[in-house]
Amino acid sequence: MGESANREGLGASSRVAFPCNLADARSGVRSLREFLSGVGVGEDELFAYELCLVEACNNAVQNADAAGQNQPVLAEVSCQPDRVELRVTDHTPGFTWPDRLEVPSLERERGRGLFIIRSMMDEVAYERGSAENTLIMRKGRGPRDPAPVAAPSRPSPPPDALDDVRAQLADCRRAINGMARELCFRSESLSAIFRCAAELGRTSDLAAFARRLLDDLLHLTSADWFVLRLIPPQESQLVVFAASNPALGSASLALPVSAGRTTPAPPGAEAASETGLPVPCAELAAVMARNAVRFDTGSSPDSNEPLRSAGASSRGLVQPVLFGDTLVGTLAIGRGATEEVFSGLEAEVIRTFSEFLAIQIVNLRQREEQVHNRLVTHELEIAHSIQRSLIPASLPRISGFDLAGSWESARQVGGDFYDAIALSEHTVLLVVGDVMGKGVPAAMFATIMRGLVRALSNHCHQPAELLGRINQVLYRDLSAVNMFITAQLVFVDHRRRRVVTAGAGHCPLTLISKGAEPIASLTTAGTPLGVLPDVRYRQTTATLGRPGGVFLHTDGLIEARNAAGEFYGHDRLMKWLRDHCRLPCPAEHLRNQLAAELHRFRGDAPMADDQAFLILTETQPAKRIRNGSGTRVGLRSPALAASL
Amino acid sequence: MKIQNDGQKLCVSEIPELSAVNSDQFRDDVQAAMPSSLNVIEIDLSQTRFVDSCGLGALFALYKSAGHNGAVALRLLNPTPPIQQLFELTQMHQLFEIVRR
Repeated sequence: MGESANREGLGASSRVAFPCNLADARSGVRSLREFLSGVGVGEDELFAYELCLVEACNNAVQNADAAGQNQPVLAEVSCQPDRVELRVTDHTPGFTWPDRLEVPSLERERGRGLFIIRSMMDEVAYERGSAENTLIMRKGRGPRDPAPVAAPSRPSPPPDALDDVRAQLADCRRAINGMARELCFRSESLSAIFRCAAELGRTSDLAAFARRLLDDLLHLTSADWFVLRLIPPQESQLVVFAASNPALGSASLALPVSAGRTTPAPPGAEAASETGLPVPCAELAAVMARNAVRFDTGSSPDSNEPLRSAGASSRGLVQPVLFGDTLVGTLAIGRGATEEVFSGLEAEVIRTFSEFLAIQIVNLRQREEQVHNRLVTHELEIAHSIQRSLIPASLPRISGFDLAGSWESARQVGGDFYDAIALSEHTVLLVVGDVMGKGVPAAMFATIMRGLVRALSNHCHQPAELLGRINQVLYRDLSAVNMFITAQLVFVDHRRRRVVTAGAGHCPLTLISKGAEPIASLTTAGTPLGVLPDVRYRQTTATLGRPGGVFLHTDGLIEARNAAGEFYGHDRLMKWLRDHCRLPCPAEHLRNQLAAELHRFRGDAPMADDQAFLILTETQPAKRIRNGSGTRVGLRSPALAASL
Repeated sequence: MKIQNDGQKLCVSEIPELSAVNSDQFRDDVQAAMPSSLNVIEIDLSQTRFVDSCGLGALFALYKSAGHNGAVALRLLNPTPPIQQLFELTQMHQLFEIVRR
């Protein structure tokens, strides 16, 4: 049986380790009783301490499993002027300390131990670890807090009255010194917390803040190292966030499924070894217990214990970092095995620091989320305004024809756009495009695409060639950000009644004419822009009806959904066009009717994607093309116009 | 521990403690000594310095076996104040007749 006593400083402490059997437990407790008696604890208090130690040690012996029976039980007493702390460390599977302890039924022969401990001590905590558990029992001392089992009167005073006064004086001095030391310790903790809080106000670097705070904690508790793990937002694992030494960083720990719960587990649910499951590492044990868990890497032969990276024999405790009921992470803090285990006061300070840290982490995360949300909103506004600027303020006027476009943006801005460019007196280029992506990047690419079409239409002789050139220019930038663009280019020469079109993965072009079948789809399959570096596009030539028209749109129209989740669909769109396109008629009228039809279909359902379409209809025989203000437009693309 | 049997009364005394270490033995010894014509068991606790929950359990076992033998009174003599308070805390003072002489 190993014994050691320490009377340094203000308190006195003693510990005894004994083999796991009842007789040795009894004599171990007797020696601790003698120690307490020797440091001046009165007979009136001794019975309660002895009884609680015996009950705890008996439990430790009687509940030890096969491996635990070969390990010693450790019992410790620490006597301060104002309180006594008792600790018993067992190697049992552990149990969950009951929330309530009723007076045991008189019919029961056994099972009164926990009730006696709870009744006789002021404070009881059962800290469960992966290899061992510690029952900590505390009781205040002093005239205002007499022990319940104490006799009503103190033992008879010493024969010499002066000795009595001296003893009382020494008691008072010890009590005052103890209080002063505790006050000093607490004030140091508070000032460290205030200092770090002030620093956090100046920075949002959470990692640096946590390291600074926990370095202060190491200093305060005379600890050697710490490992702080946090649960990243939307994840269910503990990731090392800060450590006193980079070598302490280890792999992430997946959280058990039950870890996210907000209420404590039922008693017994956590004794992993009872269910035959492997004993969890100390950090996960603390998560499951929702309470501080002590560990001793030396007594845990399990090499999977991540805290063994702090040393083969290091001990300390893991404190779950909790914000109310929400688990934020874990804080492991330890010392070398040759040093004292953390006292109750130190464990309390560790808990206070971790609570403070949890509040700061949650606050900072909320602030970051708010900033992020503001940025997203701001970005959406920018994207909206870019996109609005893309839509032409006016469309070219074409003699005998009418041109109208519609663009409506969803809340999540996409990259739909349309454009119409007069190439000559009798040719016009119609463009509808859709950048696959959202927000500012999509709007930016739509801007670039629109500029490229305008610039390159002067040099390209065919719509397929124009698409190929645009793809060459955009491929590198689009593929770098995993985006692509679908587009439909249509050259209309109304003098020669020809329509030439090329598509890059876009919706089919619709030709409008007058007759038994006024609607015809012209599918022009092609690779979207930005998917392959070098694409040879194909183009299709069709005859413009007399009177004739064309209709271009983005997939937002056919993918529009109503409140029942039904798509508007290609067939419904074609039917609508068939029923409403009565040439000759003004395009603007059709545009307004179709926009109203799409609104009616959608009802109250939110708009999921942008919608853009462009309609060209013949109103009278064509003479010449004019721009939006009505002035004559010069040839923008002689090469292209000639090719038509 | 001393056990005296006068045929109707069993007197148990000189019990230094009743703990997990000796309570089973105590219970078995007293039960073995119970005469068939027993009226009362007196357990003198005046020299007992310590009782734990196992000791309480042994006293309870005697109370039960005495009761099964037919309305035998179990009398505890002169427990020390801490032990008296332990009986009260666990409400076991309701089972036994506690006598001070």
